[in-house]
Amino acid sequence: MARIGVFVCHCGENISATVDCGKVAETVGKLKHVAFSTDYKYMCSDPGQTLIKDAIKEHKLTGIVVSACSPRMHEPTFRKAAAEAGLNPFLCEMANLREHCSWVHEKNEMTTDKAIDLVRILIEKVKINSALQPIRVPVTKTALVVGGGIAGIQSALDIANTGHKVILVERSPSIGGHMSQLSETFPTLDCSQCILTPRMVEVAQHPNITLYTYAEVESLDGFIGNFTVKIRKKAKSIYEKDCTGCGLCTTKCPQKKIPNEFEEGLGFRPAIYVPFPQAVPNKPVIDREHCTYYLKGKCKVCEIVCPTKAIRFDQPDEVIEVKIGAIVIATGFDIKRSNFFPEYGFGKYKDVIDGLQFERLASASGPTSGAILRPSDGQVPKNIVFVACAGSRDPAKGIAYCSKICCMYTAKHAMLYKHKVHEGKAHVFYMDIRSAGKNYDEFVRRAIEEDYVNYIRGRVSTIYERDGKLIVKGVDTLLGAQPVEIVADMVVLATAGVANPGAEELAQKLHVSYDSHKFFAEAHPKLKPVETNTAGIFLAGACQNPKDIPDSVSQASGAAVKVAALFSQSELTREPLVAYVNRTSPPMYSTCVGCFLCQSVCPYQAIEHEDFKTRDGKIIKTVAKINEGLCQGCGTCVALCRSKSIDLHGYSNNQVYTEVVALLNDY
Amino acid sequence: MAEFEPKVVAFVCNWCTYAGADLTGTSRIKYASNVKIIRFPCTGRIDFMLLLKSFANGADGIIVSGCHPNDCHYTSGNFHAKRRWIMFKELMDFMGIDMNRITFSWVSAAEGARWAEVVNSTVDRIRKLGPYVSYKQMVNTTVEEEVINE
Amino acid sequence: MNSIVSRAKELLENKSVQVIVGFEAGPTGKARPAFVTYPSKTDILIFDERCVQNLAVYLTKKEVKQFGKIGIVATLPIMRSIMMLISEQQVFAENIEILGVSTEGKYLDIADIQVMQGYIEKCDLSNPSNDQETLAMLNKMSMQEKFDYWQNELSTCIKCYACRQACPMCYCTRCAVECNQPQWIPVQANTHGNMEWHILRAMHLAGRCISCGECGRACPVNIPCHLLTMQLADQAHKYFNVYAGTSEKMSSVLSTYEPNDKESFIL
Repeated sequence: MARIGVFVCHCGENISATVDCGKVAETVGKLKHVAFSTDYKYMCSDPGQTLIKDAIKEHKLTGIVVSACSPRMHEPTFRKAAAEAGLNPFLCEMANLREHCSWVHEKNEMTTDKAIDLVRILIEKVKINSALQPIRVPVTKTALVVGGGIAGIQSALDIANTGHKVILVERSPSIGGHMSQLSETFPTLDCSQCILTPRMVEVAQHPNITLYTYAEVESLDGFIGNFTVKIRKKAKSIYEKDCTGCGLCTTKCPQKKIPNEFEEGLGFRPAIYVPFPQAVPNKPVIDREHCTYYLKGKCKVCEIVCPTKAIRFDQPDEVIEVKIGAIVIATGFDIKRSNFFPEYGFGKYKDVIDGLQFERLASASGPTSGAILRPSDGQVPKNIVFVACAGSRDPAKGIAYCSKICCMYTAKHAMLYKHKVHEGKAHVFYMDIRSAGKNYDEFVRRAIEEDYVNYIRGRVSTIYERDGKLIVKGVDTLLGAQPVEIVADMVVLATAGVANPGAEELAQKLHVSYDSHKFFAEAHPKLKPVETNTAGIFLAGACQNPKDIPDSVSQASGAAVKVAALFSQSELTREPLVAYVNRTSPPMYSTCVGCFLCQSVCPYQAIEHEDFKTRDGKIIKTVAKINEGLCQGCGTCVALCRSKSIDLHGYSNNQVYTEVVALLNDY
Repeated sequence: MAEFEPKVVAFVCNWCTYAGADLTGTSRIKYASNVKIIRFPCTGRIDFMLLLKSFANGADGIIVSGCHPNDCHYTSGNFHAKRRWIMFKELMDFMGIDMNRITFSWVSAAEGARWAEVVNSTVDRIRKLGPYVSYKQMVNTTVEEEVINE
Repeated sequence: MNSIVSRAKELLENKSVQVIVGFEAGPTGKARPAFVTYPSKTDILIFDERCVQNLAVYLTKKEVKQFGKIGIVATLPIMRSIMMLISEQQVFAENIEILGVSTEGKYLDIADIQVMQGYIEKCDLSNPSNDQETLAMLNKMSMQEKFDYWQNELSTCIKCYACRQACPMCYCTRCAVECNQPQWIPVQANTHGNMEWHILRAMHLAGRCISCGECGRACPVNIPCHLLTMQLADQAHKYFNVYAGTSEKMSSVLSTYEPNDKESFIL
């Protein structure tokens, strides 16, 4: 027999000003199964909660309805109070008499009647509530960080420094990411390599970090605290333990004309190569797409010259399976490349380059050892034009967003140019200067005021070649949209930051959502910017949207803390408001008929197959089963299930049906 | 005779419309007290049978409301609900069940004023339509048939 | 229809299948389903304009499944049903052989599911023309007229559930009407409960109905209940541009979505 207690709160006068709380308590007190009913000035106060706890014990209540404010406000408070009095917290429901009644209606009989109805609905519901236990799942305290750029490096180090194991997976042969390509960084103009390489080395040497370069995530199963990841370690064609990194092979490789990715195509590399001198690990890989041996079946020069016999031409890819508890995605970004800008002749004219190519030109370790030289003829450009917003903020090109980093790096580029070519002229076409950030605007002002960079507010319509010069046609909107034509030696396009190739595929493998630009999506734009919609998977850096280094590093540390917080518990507890598929006795096992349409509506891949087998292993029936670790309790599967075999704790078919009947019928 | 006071039941999701209705309260915006809310985790959870059961139990009007497309707390529950309501509405239209009595809406947690508008416009509309006599008659005749049979 | 007979015989002889589900002439001259397990008995198989039943309903019955691999005489609606059953994991492609019959009544050589899919894609998948006319007529009625029409039709329903039994898509082992916690559908037959049952059935077939009309044919009191599911088949095509049973991989209309699904009634 249900014994329900009802506690009507006045909330000072917030409720009692329009609702006759005494009448509500008195009326529902007469209802069947209501063993106790009272009203009180402040239910959430200490004496109020004590009143509830005492009543639960004294009247041996089997369920309570606290009729007060919104459950979104105080449900945890009252459920905790119920638990303290020995009543399962899920046998406490709240009727929303404040936000949904007293505050929105005038003082009259109808308002009090509505309040009574709201309480009645929940009395009927709580009668059929079940006592639920929190779901506990164990946690594997190893993190996976995907991507070895600055965000991934920072996250991996931060997690490792909390004492937990980290697996860092990087798809290229070295960690370092785009930051390792940069010359100097804004707003301090310190050398990128100088601040990055110590971190890279720390990753390699950290006892808690296992580094897999030249490796990619193959697939992911499981749920928060309990993922299983398959990692494909692509064949490097060398035996790393024997390789000393002497580099002899790379100098002797006869294939020397492969466009160097690290140098953004401005230099060449051999087929067996280390991407850049400071690479971590500093051991070469063979690029099988370009290696003569793999293409033509003979060569093996590297094998001949290798002093430690470390070359392995027949090495296969290796797929390893690892159990992990959390994931940080830090796969970074890319920039728009040629053919997206036919009007600028990008890809057609050698001296129209993008921002990353300029970084390599300006880098002391770059193809020109830091001298700013035209890619076409190696001459020093006397007149250089920088085009900001090349692609960004251009809905016509499908990129409506601001790439965020270009204003700053364009100012930096212009400054670096002026520092190296004192007599040269630098022009910047811009839409707006977005330099919000610590010491950022000062930096841009320095470029304009101290280095005399010519900032022109307007867009470039076209760039074409005439007599070996690049004619840049634009407009100066601050001079009444006056056309501007600059005869330039070189043009640098600050092309839009875009999602990395393969981001969409990875998002699908990891079951996280992504936006229309294929950037990974955060769980909440403001309050959960580091989380994804999949519990246990976090974001760091520019894989979410273009970000500069400090932002990427901050977010990486944020993600690391989220992981550390998760790993600080020996097991996870979750609200048990999850779906479940019924089970019956054999030979039916469940009323589920196994159509698995529920599987297709589930946003969390929480629905699995369960086979019932005979003793000799023959499958009798396959039915759906909910993985409690993954289910978030939306209940879409419940409403879809035709045979009503799935139900949801807390919002069961019986409960919601009962609420409808109670609400509409007289008492 | 007193003015007809329609009985309206609202099926709303916890994350958007329920929170939006909370905001209506915190903003002290007044609306008709005929509407009573039943809370669901998501519009995806709302079974179409509950709408039929509401009419069967004497509702004159129904509101179904959740998160705007792309805002679903569970990413896609509202999209599935949308398809369900499209099919349901077409079937109801085909069978002559009055879809003017059901308001489907998206009300976000920030749209407190909008929730009041949705409620008031629905109540006004149902008030003009009057009690859902034809459906009630069908249900009542059924009850009478049974009484006779017994 | 020698090709059906010879193909059936061949399949049974070389043990590719253990049973052929097809049609035979019954004692009153009507066509009825036949379950042939011996090559020598294949002569009883017929196919002509009398053979309208949707035989796919037997594919999920354990009495038929127990034979082993099934060969089935399949017209377009049956092929579409098979497609649906495969997509909903009730039938496995490797467990059936198709003895196809074209919409003109000609034997079709259907080697596998891909070939069947190719054939289905070439066909007109809209509702049968006579049903289209009735639907159009009903759609022209006023709301009250429609409500009266259906109340009148459904008042005679005796809740025998023949509509459910005849439908290949209604393969649940426990139907929602048998659920009593809560009792979604009243047990007794009365106009209101009957209407709730038929709405439930139509919604459960929304986007899954392949327009065979078997439910209407099965009804002993001649309720045109197939119009309900056919109306939704029409609407599913109008809104989502899909016909049920066209691919073994398709997810039904209500278990999938497109972010840009269009409607005009949600505020």
